[in-house]
Amino acid sequence: MAVEKPFDITTTTLESAINWARSNSMWPMPFGVACCAIEMMAALMSKYDASRFGSEVLKFSPRQSDLLIVSGRISLKMMPVLMRIWEQMPEPKWCISMGACASSGGVFDTYALIQGIDQFLPVDAYIPGCPPRPEAFIEALMVVQEKAREGKASTQAYTEKAQQV
Amino acid sequence: MGNALIVFDPTTGPPIAQRVQAQFEGRLLRGYQEGLQQGFDVTAEVAPSLLAFLRNDLGCTCLVDLTAVDYAKYPEAQPARFGVIYILLCPETGARVKVRAFVADSAPRLATAVPLFAGADWAEREVFDFFGIVFEGHPNLKRILLPDGYRDHPLRKGYPLRGKGERADFEVYRAFTG
Ligand code: SF4
Repeated sequence: MAVEKPFDITTTTLESAINWARSNSMWPMPFGVACCAIEMMAALMSKYDASRFGSEVLKFSPRQSDLLIVSGRISLKMMPVLMRIWEQMPEPKWCISMGACASSGGVFDTYALIQGIDQFLPVDAYIPGCPPRPEAFIEALMVVQEKAREGKASTQAYTEKAQQV
Repeated sequence: MGNALIVFDPTTGPPIAQRVQAQFEGRLLRGYQEGLQQGFDVTAEVAPSLLAFLRNDLGCTCLVDLTAVDYAKYPEAQPARFGVIYILLCPETGARVKVRAFVADSAPRLATAVPLFAGADWAEREVFDFFGIVFEGHPNLKRILLPDGYRDHPLRKGYPLRGKGERADFEVYRAFTG
């Protein structure tokens, strides 16, 4: 007679249990510096309601958040500030590059703007669009959640590169 | 149109223009009227005394804006390459006055307006940042919007849109893409 598994017990590793918990309680650090931030706010507020994904605690303090959302243009002068914020966030941490400007400079191919924050930060999800719809933001959030469940973050490569410098 | 504060009499001209013309006879490059705004073009040397006269004697105590234009490649010939533009407001009458001080191309300099208008402080720093016009006597003339290490003045005509390599030369770039 086969041994029956009691129905109220699931076995797993501690790590995947933690990752599962993390993926469902992303605390975003919104870095809204231009027009894309309006769509980010829409996605976070009640109509699109990112708190369905456990992302309701908007922390404007990097020390208490694990998901950096860069929405907007980053200038040469702002980039060191953004990097400082990223370094202040505790690991594990993830980064969403929202919109054409943050991802590639967008239409602003000028002397003043960073042509893509991924030259300096490890980006986990890019959102195309100018500005992206909140649905696209939610999709990126789900991509990051998927990574978190698998225990992946692009922070690792970044940290190694930063240590080489 | 209920908020038009002042209506100039076109036959006698606005009082500010008359008094400025009497005081600065022969020292104005041009005086003109654009809508309800009176404008005076002057050289860089005359600008401080004209601003002081407008502020102290004619009641134009509010500096609305201070900016600059690079007239290189401008279709109509101008007295000098740079025009530093002061827009003043007389709070009592609502009169608006535009003063344009022309500054020459080589080592552009102009006396600061900060002793007259405290609000000129950051505006002059911005003009210095983007046009390289040095305001003599400014209490703290350094860059305000661009990074401190920036070497050029990008709103001058002829400055390339993508910069002169600042994007690649920037210290953050050096540390993390090198
Ligand atoms: S991608 Fe478009 S909407 Fe977003 S910050 Fe740039 S210009 Fe604004």
